[in-house]
Amino acid sequence: MSSLLQEILNAGGINVFYQPIFEVVEGKPSLFAIEALSRGPAGTNAARADVLFEYVRRKGKEVEVDRACVQAILSSTYIVARQASLTINVHASTVERDDLFTQYLVEVCHYFRVPLSNLILEIVEQQKYSDERRFFRNLDLIRSAGVRIALDDVGLGYSNYRMLIEIRPEFYKIDRYFITHCKERDNARAAIQSILLLADRLRGRVIAEGIESADDLDTVTALGIQLVQGFHLAEPRPVTSLIEFNHCRAPGSRV
Amino acid sequence: MKSLTPSPKQSHLLIVEDEPAIRAALRKYFHGFGYEVDCASELEEAEALITTIHYDLVIADLRLTWSFAVEGLEILRFIRQHSRETQVIVLSAHTGAEIQESAEALGAAAFISKPAPLPVIAEVVARLLEGHPA
Repeated sequence: MSSLLQEILNAGGINVFYQPIFEVVEGKPSLFAIEALSRGPAGTNAARADVLFEYVRRKGKEVEVDRACVQAILSSTYIVARQASLTINVHASTVERDDLFTQYLVEVCHYFRVPLSNLILEIVEQQKYSDERRFFRNLDLIRSAGVRIALDDVGLGYSNYRMLIEIRPEFYKIDRYFITHCKERDNARAAIQSILLLADRLRGRVIAEGIESADDLDTVTALGIQLVQGFHLAEPRPVTSLIEFNHCRAPGSRV
Repeated sequence: MKSLTPSPKQSHLLIVEDEPAIRAALRKYFHGFGYEVDCASELEEAEALITTIHYDLVIADLRLTWSFAVEGLEILRFIRQHSRETQVIVLSAHTGAEIQESAEALGAAAFISKPAPLPVIAEVVARLLEGHPA
């Protein structure tokens, strides 16, 4: 095994940061969920998330690294995850290839006493499935365990309309391209509105990531998006500061 | 030959080399001249970096991961597909004309036989980054 891959898979090789997702109702944000963001070992090229996952995909080790990320995330945040919805990113290829992934999730959640209903699995699609039937069979298993599904980068690549209607995620995370451009461009707003309409018809909810200014927030909330995430609201932070999120929690919110 | 001067803007270099000692020496040497330097020890790591970060110049060892020159040429192909403006210097212990021709056909800007003194590599880097031929 190469040394970088070994470093990533070693105990402590995955560093986890967290970024909240807020629900904005009548202009007031309250904590809706927390997204776990994995990084590789500090001091290596994989400390950058984009390099980490590009490397992992090129090594064909998505399953091993996704499992390591799940373990690292839940072991560092189980106290919060017992009370709050927690979003974990997983490659679509892991769902497809790892027939025992649901069993793994169940065992890890059981060990840390985290309700599976608090997990949202955010599926990152980077390549076409080689075995769609196997992907959907495994996705059904994940859902039947009580885990909710989010689809990342909606609007780009393989997160296209066909996959949206076949996966029917509970959450549609619009790619930040549309968020970045929707202030100035009618056609970006039209694309967001079409995703909102589709999500509404399929009983899902839309999340806007990449909110970097008050203008961004005003624009997406005016379009009808309630779930938002971005540096303007809160930067990714280490687990030690997760407690700060608690003051944002609205009375009666599901988290 | 012109003496090495720091690049007017901070150039970003990637060194692809599987020998830790050579990798460390190249990193330290070029970093000392003010270059921003990343290193990769294997093909997939280099590809992940090239996909996500723009490099002005890549120094690639052809005999990466002990598999003759194949992976080195693979990196050249990859760079040409993903970042056409990135210049590539190939280091190789293979002195055969065939390998050099293959590297040049794939767009290598310079081919340097190993072992080469660091100042020699640095001169070529500086010339290429200033827009001169190697």
